Amino acid sequence: MAAGLSTQSSRHETFTMREARLPLLLTYIFLAIGAVVMIMPFVWMVSTSVKPDREIFGDTIRWIPQELDLQNYTDAFEQTNMPRIFANTVLVTAVAVASQVLLGSMAGYVFARLRFRGKTVIFFALLTTMMVPFEVLIIPVFLLIRAFPLAGGNNILGQGGTGLINTLGGVMFPNFVSVFGVFLFRQFYLSFPKEIEEAAIVDGCSRIGVYWRILIPNSKPVMGTMALFAFLWSWNDFLWPLVVVKEDSLKTIQLGLSVFDQEQGTAWAELMAASVMAVVPVIILYIFLQRFLVSGGLTSGLKG
Amino acid sequence: MSVALKRSPLTDSAPVDWRQRIYQVMNSQAFVALLFLLLPVALLAALKIWPVFYNLYLSFTRYELFEPPRFYGLKNYSYVFTNSTVRQSIFNTLLFTIEAVPIGTALALVIAKLLNQSIRGRVFLRTLYYLPVVSSVVVSAMIWRWIYSPQHGLLNHLLGTVGIPPQNWLNDPNLALISLVIVTIWGSIGSNMVIFLAGLQDIPRDIIEAARVDGANALQNFLLITVPLLRPVILFVVVTFTISIFRNFGLIFMLTQGGPFNRTNTMVWEVYQNVFGYLRFGRGAAISVVMLLIVLVLTMISFRVLRDRQGA
Repeated sequence: MAAGLSTQSSRHETFTMREARLPLLLTYIFLAIGAVVMIMPFVWMVSTSVKPDREIFGDTIRWIPQELDLQNYTDAFEQTNMPRIFANTVLVTAVAVASQVLLGSMAGYVFARLRFRGKTVIFFALLTTMMVPFEVLIIPVFLLIRAFPLAGGNNILGQGGTGLINTLGGVMFPNFVSVFGVFLFRQFYLSFPKEIEEAAIVDGCSRIGVYWRILIPNSKPVMGTMALFAFLWSWNDFLWPLVVVKEDSLKTIQLGLSVFDQEQGTAWAELMAASVMAVVPVIILYIFLQRFLVSGGLTSGLKG
Repeated sequence: MSVALKRSPLTDSAPVDWRQRIYQVMNSQAFVALLFLLLPVALLAALKIWPVFYNLYLSFTRYELFEPPRFYGLKNYSYVFTNSTVRQSIFNTLLFTIEAVPIGTALALVIAKLLNQSIRGRVFLRTLYYLPVVSSVVVSAMIWRWIYSPQHGLLNHLLGTVGIPPQNWLNDPNLALISLVIVTIWGSIGSNMVIFLAGLQDIPRDIIEAARVDGANALQNFLLITVPLLRPVILFVVVTFTISIFRNFGLIFMLTQGGPFNRTNTMVWEVYQNVFGYLRFGRGAAISVVMLLIVLVLTMISFRVLRDRQGA
């Protein structure tokens, strides 16, 4: 659907030239003011992060510091145990991305191509779960992770210990699969021509072979979309790590950042430096992969 | 399918080739479906379906983690609807919605409309407007906390240049909620704009062209043609935006912790407080059941609207 939209828009482009428009100058002024307001907080963050304290607490607003102070970055890096926090976050995010792409494409293939009993029921059960935000399920999911069998001192029935609470596995667990991903892949495979697969099956290719040799190599756009969303959700996740992780050595970047503040009082420069470090990987990835975001844009409100 | 057909005469004449049999079973649609769905469906059942019912069960119990849940009747629910703090959290959630959604939606629509023209730098501007969506709630909250800072914050500095005295944005009972609303609108314009841009591209150009020929100016065109045609999309944005406000935990945790005087205490914060603050799992479950019901009704509306739109 999204692909259709974008080709349509480019076809309309030539049309638009003659179309009624708001006076161009007013449009630019409005959009420019809006854009400035939107990015001003980020500019202020970067500006603060490279200022010495004397300029931060001065009486005048200085967007460009007179004196560059990169000490804030090294301070923030050391005070938060940044290498450890980054390693945790990269690990958790990488697992989430890989797992959501793989499981999403597998389930998407099944729902798009195979016929079997109970398919409609399972499909609609999954569809319904899309309506349930994670925030309202936090209690049972927390109890489930806590009762994970044979982990954290638990017996086989999941009693006696703390399960996956306070482990990176516990942080990862709810992010292994997303319903959104299953639907994304299903929609993509439905629009993929069937003839190639049929020809392969006639030539003796198995169904798993069709999935692995034909669909997977042709799924790059949808994998890009899924990977970008999975990355954003996992990297930016806050509530779940907050609930699961207690130990400093297991913190992810958002969690590390959120407590950094309480520990340091109002060390704004270090705080902004740490924020820059948390947001830069996301912005870089977004700029490179933003063409993939459009296709998921319409359903992005239905995360989970 | 065709493989099975071709090979069936073979199995009639020759003795059954068991290796081929196994291959046929393992290559059947049902087996591959089972194999591929086992893990994703098991995980989703455990994380998305079972919790809904267990949450409902917990809401009728008294459970404080170290003893097994005890049946508690409707006491949690009567608490939810009579306790003044919980009631205020419901009220605050609605107030938050009313303050953020109309303005946020209107701004996103106007920006989308302006960006839908073929103007120079369109892609660049769209990227800028989307940046707050990509940034995490924690980072956004940190930045705004610094902007709102009473002593050296940017906002008080800027207001000072036009003679407005400094305000204690996040700690003033009259300003705290509106301060959160501002951050929320700033953080959501990008995602709502993307939905509007998709909707705008579905409007046939001939209609707008015809109105222009008939003498409608740009403003009339926008208000009398674009807005009515976009009604389903607008409703969809309003509903998803509202749901995102119900779910908005990080901002409250980072900026106000529900204060001052419970003025920013919303339902999601109240759940978190009851469960992870006071270990009242049953009570927290009851509040989340109420929340889920509201969210479900809103989502049903948005699904229906989206379906109607695709059908049209």
